[in-house]
Amino acid sequence: MDTFINGLNLVLTVDTLLVILAASLFGIFVGAVPGLTATMAVALLVPVTFYMDPTPAIAAIVATSAMAIFAGDIPGTYLNIPGTPASAAYVGESHMLARQGRAREALGINLVCSVFGGIFGTVVLIVVAQFLAEVALKFSAFEYFWLAILGLSCSIFISSGSKIKASLSLLFGLLLSTVGLDMMSGAPRFTFGVPDLMAGVNFIPVMIGMFALSELMKYYGSHSENKKVNMTSSDNVFSQVPVHVKKYWPNMLRGSSIGTLIGALPGAGADIAAWISYAVSKGKSKDKSQYGKGHIEGIVDASSANNSGISGAWVPALVFGIPGDSITAIVIGVLYMKGMNPGPTIFMDGSGLIYALFIVFILANLMMLPIGYMAIRLSKIFILTPSRVLMPIILCFCIVGAFAINNSMTDVWIMLIIGLISHLLISNDFPVAPAILGLVLGTTVENNFMSAMMRTGGDLTSFFARPISATLGIMVIFIWCSPLIMAIYKGYTQRSNV
Amino acid sequence: MRDLLIGLGFILAGIVTIVTAQKFPTLPSLQFGPSLFPSLIGGGFCIGGLALSLSQLNNIRLLISRCQDMGIKINAPRKLLTSLLPAALIVFYILSSDFLGTLLTMFIIMFSLMMIRKTRFLIAFSSSAILSAVIYFLFSHYLLIPLPQGTLFEGSL
Repeated sequence: MDTFINGLNLVLTVDTLLVILAASLFGIFVGAVPGLTATMAVALLVPVTFYMDPTPAIAAIVATSAMAIFAGDIPGTYLNIPGTPASAAYVGESHMLARQGRAREALGINLVCSVFGGIFGTVVLIVVAQFLAEVALKFSAFEYFWLAILGLSCSIFISSGSKIKASLSLLFGLLLSTVGLDMMSGAPRFTFGVPDLMAGVNFIPVMIGMFALSELMKYYGSHSENKKVNMTSSDNVFSQVPVHVKKYWPNMLRGSSIGTLIGALPGAGADIAAWISYAVSKGKSKDKSQYGKGHIEGIVDASSANNSGISGAWVPALVFGIPGDSITAIVIGVLYMKGMNPGPTIFMDGSGLIYALFIVFILANLMMLPIGYMAIRLSKIFILTPSRVLMPIILCFCIVGAFAINNSMTDVWIMLIIGLISHLLISNDFPVAPAILGLVLGTTVENNFMSAMMRTGGDLTSFFARPISATLGIMVIFIWCSPLIMAIYKGYTQRSNV
Repeated sequence: MRDLLIGLGFILAGIVTIVTAQKFPTLPSLQFGPSLFPSLIGGGFCIGGLALSLSQLNNIRLLISRCQDMGIKINAPRKLLTSLLPAALIVFYILSSDFLGTLLTMFIIMFSLMMIRKTRFLIAFSSSAILSAVIYFLFSHYLLIPLPQGTLFEGSL
């Protein structure tokens, strides 16, 4: 109880509450501008959080990401352009409703479902994370090695598109993680005589390069913007919400459950959660023919899922230090910077920081209701902000933000090089999430492998000697064999049909 | 076609990684040295790059259509150039900020990007001036980041 009160004291300060408010407004703005993603918002925010205390720093990230995911629905509804990838799954439904003059009704139910999904995911986070943390206390280098490999494997097999490209993207991230002094021998690796690289590649410039710079390059390589809102919206934001909630509350629960589960899988973020939830919703619906014509049911499922996915991604991040999505990958870096080492011991800390984090989650999601309402009323101002003025400002933020991490131009170079490579990869359909996971988990994989080998004198069978380690190892092998098993199963069923 | 080239690029990167990793010093007491993981990653690059290249070579029809796609893209060099503009301006910042100072360099970057996207001169000029000053003072005075002040105006900016 004392730790909970400590947590409450950490959050209920004027500073933290102001930071949550400011971050919420920032998140709403970034989410509502097409082309700017929630991950980009968080990456740009990190250099500023560098100078904050741990609680407001984490609060800023939580509030920004939650708001940005909701706000992505605003341009999706009015322009048929999703503000963030997490809104892409149901953008067609929202836009069709807007064309029928029901834009605010669609955004109202979006908002309520986002708040519900976010709080649902937070409750799961509070309950499951504590339980998992107790289990994780029994983990040693063997278990952490397999867990990291499991996370990396999931990031490949969950990603959409070519698995070869996902694997290469992962290897790119892993290669970046090897830069710097080797933990065992102290030998410098891929440092090219640059002293700033001895401690490894800094995570934040990489994230800014991957998410902000590559997006800027995509914008300047595209046709000129043409944002024009042709429709009027005079309907009420919340008047139809009780009717929809009464009718579709099981969908809210289902969407939130799917979202939390998908969000907790490494490499699968809010966007994948929304797509899967929308597909399940359509598959199970009694009104399948209404989908694509502006049907609230699909919006309820998917918008609950994307916000619950954001909270769900924090479960593996806090308990095991394995990010559930790109945003939690950045969060892990911030937690380390703030001295909050993610892992089961974070729950044993008596200062109440973990409770502060939970309270921040609930607070940020509740604050989404009034701020989101305001954003819906002011939608047109947000979405008509000219990108041609906004993008140069973002570029300057990228440069100054990357420099601010270590006050070093090396980080600006890193951001530039990673941005160029990422732009090349993204424009050729390479997924970026595996690369981020590779960068974050590369050190975990290598260090745990090396320390396990030192402990056992190089005996590789020791990775299967402990029950939890062996189970995790078998799960990894199963995941890697799954395409083969599926192919054999398909061949068998085809033959039996013939 | 592009995947074929990228696949070959990964093979080359894999070979360079493996060769570089073999030069890492190791301790005789260690069973697995610092070159183990980079070598495995390099090997992965080679295998993945080869698989990506072969997947393109096997499908000739796809290859031809991709070539046609590329042909269309080659006809649009302006798009390629403008997409590289942010990167070029970052290089400009790195090279000139010590001389011009962050404030002036940021103004030039913002103003030129806005003009390229056909923003009105007055809007581009005024917003670049105001916003570069806001970012500069936020980071240098509020967050105390030692941003380059520039030798041109002897650090007075």
